[in-house]
Amino acid sequence: MLECRDLRKSFGELAAVDGVSFHIAAGETYGLLGPNGAGKTTSISMAVGLMQRDGGQVLVDGEPLDPGTTKLKAKIGLVPQDLALYPDLTARENLRFFGRLYDMPRARLSRRVDEVLEIIGLSDRANDRADTFSGGMKRRLNIGIGLLHAPGLLVLDEPTVGVDPQSRNAILESIEQLGSEGLAVLYTTHYMEEAERLCDRIGIIDRGQIKAEGTRRELAQILSQHDRVRLSATGPLHEGAEALRRIAGVQQVDVTDGAIDVLVEQAGNSLMAILSALDQSGVSITGVEIDEPNLEAVFLHLTGRSLRD
Amino acid sequence: MKALAIAASNLRRFARERANVFFVLILPMLLILVLGSVFGRGFEPRVGLVAPESGDLTQSLVEELEAHEGFALHRHGDRDTVVRGVERGELEAGLILPPNYDAAIRAGDAVEIDFIARPGQAALSLRRSIDTLLAEQMMPPRIAGFVAEQGAATFDQALAQAATVNADTDGVNVAATVAGESFITRRNWGQFDLGAQQQLMLFMFLTSLAGSAALVQTRRLGIARRMFATPTTVRTILLGEGLGRFGVALVQGVYIMLGTMVVFGVRWGDPLSAVLIVVAFGLVGSGAAMLMGALFSSDQQAAPVGVFLGLGAAALGGCMLPLYVMELFAPAIWTAAHVMPHAWALEAFEVLAIHDGGVADVLPFLGILLAYAAAFYALAIWRLRVVLTR
Repeated sequence: MLECRDLRKSFGELAAVDGVSFHIAAGETYGLLGPNGAGKTTSISMAVGLMQRDGGQVLVDGEPLDPGTTKLKAKIGLVPQDLALYPDLTARENLRFFGRLYDMPRARLSRRVDEVLEIIGLSDRANDRADTFSGGMKRRLNIGIGLLHAPGLLVLDEPTVGVDPQSRNAILESIEQLGSEGLAVLYTTHYMEEAERLCDRIGIIDRGQIKAEGTRRELAQILSQHDRVRLSATGPLHEGAEALRRIAGVQQVDVTDGAIDVLVEQAGNSLMAILSALDQSGVSITGVEIDEPNLEAVFLHLTGRSLRD
Repeated sequence: MKALAIAASNLRRFARERANVFFVLILPMLLILVLGSVFGRGFEPRVGLVAPESGDLTQSLVEELEAHEGFALHRHGDRDTVVRGVERGELEAGLILPPNYDAAIRAGDAVEIDFIARPGQAALSLRRSIDTLLAEQMMPPRIAGFVAEQGAATFDQALAQAATVNADTDGVNVAATVAGESFITRRNWGQFDLGAQQQLMLFMFLTSLAGSAALVQTRRLGIARRMFATPTTVRTILLGEGLGRFGVALVQGVYIMLGTMVVFGVRWGDPLSAVLIVVAFGLVGSGAAMLMGALFSSDQQAAPVGVFLGLGAAALGGCMLPLYVMELFAPAIWTAAHVMPHAWALEAFEVLAIHDGGVADVLPFLGILLAYAAAFYALAIWRLRVVLTR
């Protein structure tokens, strides 16, 4: 459905996207996972024909797509990170407006607007202005506009940013549903759990380059000899983390809310040393979990920095 | 069709903002009423006069000067006051009669009248008007002087006779063809005519430029990029946005024309030509708005700059100071005024309202206005494409 080859884009001296390549098949959900500034939005802007490229090629259904190409854009539905909708128009007016830009016949547009309002759960607020909506409702309308013309490829750029957990879950469920209906989805996020939940394949992107790509399982294989130890603890966690970094076999240490995450080779060999070091640092341990590495750990391993950086 | 969809959405959003009704429909009419009431009599040059004597000949001359339609006469007591008035711009010219005016004329002596004015076209024009008037005024006393000198009658008898003869005789007519316009004939506008034309141009342009903020907002919200992600070209997006603003300006223009025609009796001339001028000027305004909308990145910038540019362009283009006044008193500014499309539109209206012109007469002006519009739109499309795809 979509193939991006060696995409390149620089802003002055900064190479925002530096040779990004990926492809998405029909019915597949592909995630670009990376922190803010990794090059996700720039990559998808080129992928949907919005941004002029410095190099590379974009093919949609085998046909080249450029900013000047208009016809092919009808196959793509874009859900930008910004709430790109008119706040002073109603939900129905916003949908109708964008529907007309896709040359949808009047009767089909009316029918489809009702369907989409149902999908995004805004049927009962269809005639209310968008500026009276909650953040989550606006996000859903933002997604609805992208879905309206029933595209073959849906591109979502961090669609859950700033959304409450309940709305976020509703959005993710909608996207899961769309993926299961055969829509190709390109999804960018810096939330590891969203990528893990939604995406068939994930490209880990950082500093404009795809560092690794594959299914969640394939990516976890990168750290196959490693375990993730999560230590719930109280006390001077950062001092404890410093002590852990000196232990042989410890690859990464990350302090989160009330816990220390440790990526370690063969947890069984190092666990006693870890517990001892924390005890000596004055850290009280309240719980220990040992799990296989998640995408966060993979990302940290590949880039040397956290998704939250 | 897509451009129409964009324009329709633009108009719908515009109509939902209630304040817009006031600024587009009510405020222009109020200003036309106020300006027409205060300045509607047009510009009348002021001439200061010092006439120390109160003799018959002096009185007669003063009456002639007061009756003249080309300027307003103000009496002053002394020369210094008049000179000061001219220097300060309170008077356009001064006329000082000598203390022995009556006696000198009766004696057949040369009479020197002092004319005081600033250098420039206005002074020359006033001087010509006054010279003509004085030449006519001097004719009977000259005849009377000659008759009295020959001893055929007293000066007063001969003067009375000469005045009668002068009034009754056709004399020799000089057929003169006037090329161009004098500021005096341009004063043939009605009280509200010129003000209505000026406010029409000012408000149409201002309303259009205010639309630049709407385009900036569309860009800032990411809607312009989202439109560009659909199968819609930059040209269509911009034409749609421009068409929305053009629609508002056109409604405003036609409303002002009809409203002032009905309420204030303003003459707009040939209706078709007048509407064509409004259409062409609306395109210029919307084109300028689209260019600004493509250039600015914040609507907080675009809105005040739009108002500033709108008022500035209107002022320079002849919407605040009439073009004929510029032509008389500051030819350089009059030339500069024609950088603004307002000046061309106002001149086109003058052709309609004063000279009963038709479509053919305003075609050159329409051509110039459309060239402005095309240039603005071309630049705006180029700029918006750069902004959206970079």
